[in-house]
Amino acid sequence: MEITLLLLQQLSVYLVIIYLLSKTPLFMPLIFVSGRNSHRIACYVLFSSFCILGTYFSLSIENALANTRAIGAVMGGLLGGPVVGLAVGLTGGLHRYSMGGFTDLACTISTTSEGLIGGLLHLYYLRKGQIEKIFKPMKALIITLVAEVIQMAIILVVAKPFDQAWLLVQSIALPMIIANSLGAALFMSIIQDKKAIFEKNYNAFSNKALRIAQRAVGVFRHGFDAQSCQKIAGIIHEETGVGAVSITDREKILAFIGIGDDHHVCGRMISSDYTLKAIESGEMTYADGYATAYQCSIHEGCKLGSVLVVPLLQADGQVFGTVKLYEPKQKLFSTLNRSLGEGLAKLISNQILLGRYIQQKNLLNQSEIRLLQAQVNPHFLFNTLNTISAVTRKDPKKARELIQHLSQFFRSNLKQDIEQVTVKEELAHVHAYLEIELARFADRLSVTENIADELLSLKVPTFTLQPLIENAIKHGTSTLIGKGKLEINGYLLEKGKDTLVVLEVIDNAGQYQEPSNARGLGLQIVDKRIKNQYGQHYGLTMTCETDIYTKATILVPLQKQ
Amino acid sequence: MLKAIVIDDELYAREELNELLVETNQVQVIEQCSNAIEGLKAINSLKPDVVFLDIHMPQITGLDLLSMLDPDTMPKVVFVTAYDEYAVKAFEDNAFDYLLKPVESERLLKTLKRINAERTELPNYGPITTNKLELIPCSGFNRILLLAPDEIEIAMSEQTGVHLLTDKDKFTASLSLKVLEEKTDLIRCHRQHLINPSCIREIKLLDNGSADIMTKSNHHAPVSRRYLKVIKDRFGLL
Repeated sequence: MEITLLLLQQLSVYLVIIYLLSKTPLFMPLIFVSGRNSHRIACYVLFSSFCILGTYFSLSIENALANTRAIGAVMGGLLGGPVVGLAVGLTGGLHRYSMGGFTDLACTISTTSEGLIGGLLHLYYLRKGQIEKIFKPMKALIITLVAEVIQMAIILVVAKPFDQAWLLVQSIALPMIIANSLGAALFMSIIQDKKAIFEKNYNAFSNKALRIAQRAVGVFRHGFDAQSCQKIAGIIHEETGVGAVSITDREKILAFIGIGDDHHVCGRMISSDYTLKAIESGEMTYADGYATAYQCSIHEGCKLGSVLVVPLLQADGQVFGTVKLYEPKQKLFSTLNRSLGEGLAKLISNQILLGRYIQQKNLLNQSEIRLLQAQVNPHFLFNTLNTISAVTRKDPKKARELIQHLSQFFRSNLKQDIEQVTVKEELAHVHAYLEIELARFADRLSVTENIADELLSLKVPTFTLQPLIENAIKHGTSTLIGKGKLEINGYLLEKGKDTLVVLEVIDNAGQYQEPSNARGLGLQIVDKRIKNQYGQHYGLTMTCETDIYTKATILVPLQKQ
Repeated sequence: MLKAIVIDDELYAREELNELLVETNQVQVIEQCSNAIEGLKAINSLKPDVVFLDIHMPQITGLDLLSMLDPDTMPKVVFVTAYDEYAVKAFEDNAFDYLLKPVESERLLKTLKRINAERTELPNYGPITTNKLELIPCSGFNRILLLAPDEIEIAMSEQTGVHLLTDKDKFTASLSLKVLEEKTDLIRCHRQHLINPSCIREIKLLDNGSADIMTKSNHHAPVSRRYLKVIKDRFGLL
């Protein structure tokens, strides 16, 4: 009984050391079983030390040592697996062997086998896919108990003389089994607590981060301006609970929410040294108000006592602004919010960059449509005016019709910001154009049109068909000395389980050339816009047999409308 | 009265200009052509005083046509275009006559006045014409054809016109031998014959100092004494 108490006393000191160590980052590798070599090595080093420590915290009894070495060996095996267990046991065992005594060999063998036993349990749960169970203190207790019983058996078998071994086991078996099992259980319990705290923090962190991320989506769609920054600052302020949040660009405060918003006014130029430093260096600056003094640069009586400034970076590393988190003087800056601040800056940077990208893409789309419109080329306009002027003399009624067609053509050309039109509308645009060209090329152009009725109500991107027809005339039929023929077809095509809308423009010139620079730009834009909208499988393909025909084929998916 | 030919591929444009010209009472439109090939033939056969020439036409543009005209019988040319920044700039730079479509009557009158005043002088169209023709318009039996110059083996001027021999066929060209000599790689071997030097297989020297050329496709062309030396020089023969 006395030995048990003494050993438990030793165990207490041992456990205090473990508890203190658990507060250091040394313990981090222990709370997750990753199976990586780094994890294994960390386990080996740490538990070998505990194993040796256990040997030192021992009581000398009967020319032998009552000790808590088994804790290190079994725990090493449990957390690190059989290989680590074996290695820890062997290390601890060899260390014990070096100290001599009649049980030296027995102890070496038993410590090694204890490590292995822990490792085997690890392996067992790993195979069953329940590796988390090894973190249960009760499991550690039972397995250490079993291991200790086996150790006693090994001492009896290996240690000579047997009589002395028998006496020893009688006196130390119970204290060692109790102390080691209990110690292993408490050790595991410390690890478990550590793990729980970490997971709780981690969850809180990721929940916060996720919520902010969710709420921030799309805020910067219209750009990095005061309005969107104010909104984001509000979200961060609410979610993190810091004293105040501010967002700046490189020169001025774009948004400020929280304590001190009476003098931290939006639109003010940046005066804080920390912010200027962060902008210049591109690195986070932090003033906790204690080790690094912080004083608001605007107002002496400002209640804010600490600040974290995180720069907002572009893809090329250029700083385009900062996010600032403040805490008031009586409150500490939580590490959680500090690390969150970094992540937030990244999130905001990305959102802003995405917003810019989307904006630019929209601008591009719009400018491309304008470009298509602007492609109403002067040739066409002046030739049309000339045709009308000539027709006026002979057939004023027809001239008036042509003017109407021309105005309809321009009108639909000028319809901006419309992404999609029905086939019927696109055909109306085409007809206005064709009527004019038919008059112009009077005796040299004929058109046949064959569009399936079910297509008329379907939607297609604007300016899909007309550029093809313009191209077929400009670079096709108009280059023929003989008669030009144009064929416009539209039909539905079943392809696998998809239904495709097919639009074709065929001329009898066969003069198509691969686009180069400016030429064929109209066609490229038609193709690009369809691909942007529907994907790479769709778009425009040109086929040509020189001097025989050129065929432009548009494929778009049949949309559920 | 000026004799004029209107060449434009658009029916209404042709008719419009025709009407305007008739209205001036200074011009008689003797022919209207819907492309440059017809135009070339008409110019060569009708010898007009002035040609109203559209720039944009299928296959052979107005400027190409200009390159195909024989400088000796070159008529006055008035360019007509609806819109062509580059051509207009060239016309301006060289002080050539041009009209913008739709044509204004007053502007047309001004142009005619100028033509009447400078009736004998001919401008130098060098700056806007090409040195080498890429296509030679020909009329075959019931068809119009555009030959690449290197397809031609022999060109010969006969009573019925300028004939072109290719490996298999014979065409009648709408160009004079002189233009062909100047604007293609064909070289003169006889007063009435041009030969494509890359198609010569054999030059048979005759006793009287002349020679006979046989081409790859076994066509024959005479070589006069005067041009034999030129040909010998060209091939480095003595």
